[in-house]
Amino acid sequence: MTDVTGEILRRWREGHGWDVPRMARELRKAARDSGEDVAAHHGLVKMIPQWERGGRAPRERYRLLYLKVFAGTLGDLSDGMALGTDVALRLAEVRSRAARLPAPGEIKALEDAVLARPRESMTPAEIRALAAEAIAHLHEVAGKLAELSALLGEDTP
Amino acid sequence: MSARDDEIMRVVAELDMHVAEVEASVATLKGLLADGELPGEEG
Repeated sequence: MTDVTGEILRRWREGHGWDVPRMARELRKAARDSGEDVAAHHGLVKMIPQWERGGRAPRERYRLLYLKVFAGTLGDLSDGMALGTDVALRLAEVRSRAARLPAPGEIKALEDAVLARPRESMTPAEIRALAAEAIAHLHEVAGKLAELSALLGEDTP
Repeated sequence: MSARDDEIMRVVAELDMHVAEVEASVATLKGLLADGELPGEEG
């Protein structure tokens, strides 16, 4: 893979709370659903960590299977491969992480909880600044997600 | 890679940067809340 690193595949898998055997089962299921032959379960269990470590890159058919497995995250992107595989995978990974970010209110609640317990490592002003910065970046995330939706021609609410 | 892909990758890279910033800040706040230590700090 050129733009999608093994680290991204690992974070993507772990983001769904799947261990390697589960990832192998999901890839085999996607293959079975489309009538494709893939490596046996134990073979995939060996290959997935190699892909994730970057020791070797998954072949095209496995990259396509990743797209099928994560179709829910990809939305319509996998249909007809409107985007290059690497772009679609990278996009899906970042979107998946963005979807797991806390809401501004949750960050504020976290800030309040931290401020309620005085500590030496950060001053209250620094803690407030950190939370404010996180919320500012969160707004940027929303803006970039909207920009992506527009670029992809997706319907926006 | 098409020009459209390039443009999407540019926005994705910017999105990635902002997501990483939020993740890092939230991890720091959670670390402070959990035990008063910043993530990665030891001893």
